[in-house]
Amino acid sequence: MDIETLKRTARWVRHEVFEMIISAGKGHMGGSFSCVEILLALYHGGILRVDPRNLRLEERDRFILSKGHSAEALYAVLADFGFFPISELATYGKGGSRLGGHVDNKIPGIEVSTGSLGHGLGLGVGLALSAKMDRRDYMTVVLLGDGECYEGSVWEAALFAAHQELSNLVAIIDRNQQITLNYTEECIRLDPLDEKWRAFGWDVAVVNGHAFEELFRALENIRSRRSPRPLVIIASTVKGKGVSFMEGQLQWHHNIPKGKKLEIARKELLVGE
Amino acid sequence: MMEIGVDVKPTHDLNVDIRDAFFDEVYRIAASDRNVIVLTDDQGAFSLERFKNDLQGQYFNMGIAEQNIISVAAGLALGGKIPFVYGISTFMTMRCFEQIRDDLSCMNLPVTIVGSGPGYSYGSDGPTHHATQDVAILRTLPHLTILNPADAVASTACVQMGYKAVGPTYIRIERGVLPVLYDDHHSFSAGFAQIRMGRDLLIISTGIMVHKALEVSDRLSEIGIGAGVLDLYRLKPVYEPSLLSSLQGVERIVTLEENSIVGGLGSLVAEILADHKRMIALKRIALPDRHCYEYGNRDWQHSYEGLDVAGIVRVIEGWK
Repeated sequence: MDIETLKRTARWVRHEVFEMIISAGKGHMGGSFSCVEILLALYHGGILRVDPRNLRLEERDRFILSKGHSAEALYAVLADFGFFPISELATYGKGGSRLGGHVDNKIPGIEVSTGSLGHGLGLGVGLALSAKMDRRDYMTVVLLGDGECYEGSVWEAALFAAHQELSNLVAIIDRNQQITLNYTEECIRLDPLDEKWRAFGWDVAVVNGHAFEELFRALENIRSRRSPRPLVIIASTVKGKGVSFMEGQLQWHHNIPKGKKLEIARKELLVGE
Repeated sequence: MMEIGVDVKPTHDLNVDIRDAFFDEVYRIAASDRNVIVLTDDQGAFSLERFKNDLQGQYFNMGIAEQNIISVAAGLALGGKIPFVYGISTFMTMRCFEQIRDDLSCMNLPVTIVGSGPGYSYGSDGPTHHATQDVAILRTLPHLTILNPADAVASTACVQMGYKAVGPTYIRIERGVLPVLYDDHHSFSAGFAQIRMGRDLLIISTGIMVHKALEVSDRLSEIGIGAGVLDLYRLKPVYEPSLLSSLQGVERIVTLEENSIVGGLGSLVAEILADHKRMIALKRIALPDRHCYEYGNRDWQHSYEGLDVAGIVRVIEGWK
């Protein structure tokens, strides 16, 4: 898929995410908006080897949404990719729907259930380790939030992955600089985040997480790296990306615009689309 | 009491350390199935040494990082491996309880957690090392099987149960040479076994306390009280209909465990009796709801908390 089509799809995904959350009255808009390009680069950009018609393909790549609260963005991407009907997105968060506020592995295309932060990297390490043991060539890719890096378990997994030389493991950090109540650098400093990962024995790339060209540069060679180290891509992003009054503002972790703000947001997203 | 249930008599003393018997069996299956992986949080065992030497690629000392161990084990299981995770019971169940819930129980993954040092095994190490609430908290998790073998034969069978399970399993493993209760051909599918019949009351116990229950039964018989003993080696799931049918004719039940009085064996028996309107008098003998900051070995701790044979006999004798 070319870059222009990807950009157009990103606008569609944001609009879908918005309508899902408005319709359900609940969800995580800010963090979903910040990782749209990352998800599209992985799926629509052809980085991940996955096939919606063959879910149990042995050599399929394993993607883990460790920041499971960005479920809405992943649902839209997976539906558009063909894992389940796009019409199903309208059921999100409603009685009996299989699409809830955090992803679970009963949904086609979801490998691993998440929701509580700090689990996905360890799970990914286990998958990558089993692939290495069996000399299977699938990749394991884990998307984390930057606030998630406050969890000690992330660093337990990071230590172990580097020691095991899991070069078949890629972590991507959605570095949107925000947690629910605060900015990460005001709450507890994470920077220099790249140096922390490097010190833990990982290869590090820092990219603009909304620029497909940069994402592809970091992702296109993940299978042919010569380094024995696992790779972390720190993707600088903007929380709430796509809606002017949400971008980089604190109240949009799981708040929902109402009244006039709702209309402004919808208009901006539709114009974008 | 009606003669229902398996009446198993002690057969022979194998003189085998129960933990060594356990890991010898793990080694045996791992040697023939390279998908079996042992992970530990830096906890050794004599019989694990062979893993390090012979099955290097199937053994990982993952350091003191229990949260990561459970998540990695879950990932390995997703990748088709059959992980056995080994560490001290308290650390392997409490530090990483959420990983057990979210990664193993929610996704129903076949990972076996082997907790060493149940109850007051690490008596003098203090409350941080006392595994006296693990059963209570883990019992709340769907899909999880909880096993508490009392002898080397049962512990070996537990390895097979973990190996063949479709979901997660927690096994509390004792250490030392304990009298053998089961013959080698015993089927452990029922989840419990009545190992002694008694006309006056039934002691339901689990793990190492089953041996104490037998001693208590001996002492009670000297004073004319016939106490049967039932070994509930599978604490979850309990197949209630067969347990209830083995309680036919029983008028008094004593539960005996080395867990907190809150939420363990006694609680689960009480729940089953209440749910099925079985009005059988029940006395729960367990550890009091407090942390024990008096230090001694396991036997001392038992005496201190009234779980020694004499103390238990006194409680049962005085139970009107």
